[in-house]
Amino acid sequence: MGLTAVEKALAAKSGKASVRPGEVVHPDPDFIMIHDGVVMGAKRELDALGITRLAAPEKVVMVTDHDVIYGSARAAERGAFNRRAAAQWGVKHFFDVGRGGHGHIFPMETGMLLPGMFYFDNDRHATNAGAIGAFGFRMGAEISRVLATGTNWVMTPRSVKLTIKGRLKPGVYARDLGFHIASLLKRGALRLNLDYRVLEYAGELDQFDLAARAALCNSPTEMRAYGVYFPPSEAILKQARARAQRPFTPIFPDPVAHYDSEAEIEVSRLEPQIALPGGVENSVDISEVAGTPIDHAFIGSCGSGMYEDMFEAARVLKGRSIASGVRLFIAPGSEQSMRQLAADGVIQIFLEAGAVMLPAGCGPCNDAVIGPVHSGEASISTAANNNFGRFGAKDAKLYLGSPATVAVSAVAGRITDPRSMRASDIGAKGREAA
Amino acid sequence: MSEFQWRLRGRCYRLGHDVPHAGGVIPNWVITGRHFDAQEIIPHLFSETDPGFAGRCKPGDIIVTGRNFGMGPKMNGYIAMQALGLGLVCESMPFLAYRAAIGCGLRVMTDCVAATEMCESGDELEVDFRDGFFINHTRSITREYPPIPDSLRDIVELGGNTGWLKRWWAEQQGATAKQS
Repeated sequence: MGLTAVEKALAAKSGKASVRPGEVVHPDPDFIMIHDGVVMGAKRELDALGITRLAAPEKVVMVTDHDVIYGSARAAERGAFNRRAAAQWGVKHFFDVGRGGHGHIFPMETGMLLPGMFYFDNDRHATNAGAIGAFGFRMGAEISRVLATGTNWVMTPRSVKLTIKGRLKPGVYARDLGFHIASLLKRGALRLNLDYRVLEYAGELDQFDLAARAALCNSPTEMRAYGVYFPPSEAILKQARARAQRPFTPIFPDPVAHYDSEAEIEVSRLEPQIALPGGVENSVDISEVAGTPIDHAFIGSCGSGMYEDMFEAARVLKGRSIASGVRLFIAPGSEQSMRQLAADGVIQIFLEAGAVMLPAGCGPCNDAVIGPVHSGEASISTAANNNFGRFGAKDAKLYLGSPATVAVSAVAGRITDPRSMRASDIGAKGREAA
Repeated sequence: MSEFQWRLRGRCYRLGHDVPHAGGVIPNWVITGRHFDAQEIIPHLFSETDPGFAGRCKPGDIIVTGRNFGMGPKMNGYIAMQALGLGLVCESMPFLAYRAAIGCGLRVMTDCVAATEMCESGDELEVDFRDGFFINHTRSITREYPPIPDSLRDIVELGGNTGWLKRWWAEQQGATAKQS
């Protein structure tokens, strides 16, 4: 019997010919990621046990993306602690303030995370790795065991397959499709159970670039998927080869692999979507909520933080101004794309429109450490999710949309269909480079 | 470690499907406030749905739930269950919830098909988390469910991730001492 993508990855990293769902393995990761918010907890736990050396410090990637510019004395103290921890542990791959960006974006943009790889992460949005045909598994607080021993247990998950049929219309984006898929899952209209399972995409995937694939990894993660995986297209492989920091071997599922369940979705009639407050699965056609006034807007996060996402937003912001009374925050996913956006004039477009640039990282989409919403306000954003209180007051209304929808809505001051404003041609130089 | 009690006998506490961790198991403020001390958390276990639960339950009691128990990656509720000596039997659990429960050293079994149809709250249950036996003495029902996998048992025996790391480090130190 054939193997699914995750079975192949776990078998390869565990030195086995094959693994089966339910089998517990201890894979040898390509790297180990830990973000700024949890270094302190892990360090203190290990120090208390007397464990002062890491199993493989050369594999450890420390990332400052959750609280980048320290909005409080406590955050500054944490930053100082993290720098001491990196020094004591001997971590060389330390992407501190201004050095990397969002841990689930920049490794793909810089060729650190490549097709076929497997890594451990403390954070659940490690599922973004599926965009490039790799796997990142969340460990939570158990990242301490990975740091100390180099691995941890993984129970091989079952896999489900979702086949995409048709192509998205202009003005409709992968993020819209992600929200729609979440909504179908919630309503039971897609007969897939994602709990403890890996979602593999199949079908007409060539229409999705890396940013679109990251967007499509995001919503299933919010719907409790263990991992998400795209078979890398020739275009994705070409891009990866151009950026690769080391050789890599992509993995693909066997044609006769066994899936727990399979479903298809036709996407060519999909309209732009808005996820209503409370969860990505509360998705509706934009026409149902168009006109809703907004106070706050944000573009970025692991779901929509790549160069292409920023580019699409800039196309509608060029020559326009953000509505009076609205604040728009933009957080690119990596320092590298921040530089490219600057070189391409994209940041100039944002600034001229009246947007506020945030450092590369998570932006407000982490416990409101920066740019939060206030009680009673309405926000539209591309955040990872819009659970109540995700970035500020619990009674604020958090809507989600694609980067283009958020940009257009920030200009109009109310939720607006991106197809109602003509997008400008701002050249594709940087886009091709990205 | 041979004295570790894999078999629990106690009263059933039955819950339905889709009980979220935040609100359903433990108040959200316990999670967002990052409270990890068992004694601090215990009074709040199921407090929003069943005030006083922590005072009524006894070591050995077994929580039996429907599908999708404990949605969310958080561990606070499992810390309390483990400290109270409870067991957990679920029809299904999202992997992050299962992982968190094992990491806290909780005796937990998932993928226990139709487990909630085998019992009512108050029934006398006996569950062996090492071999998967589920016995309802009140109703004379016996089932065999997937037990805790062999390779995860030492984590549970040692009280969770930190306990496992403590022993692992002691073994490492011992090995180093022997070599030198």
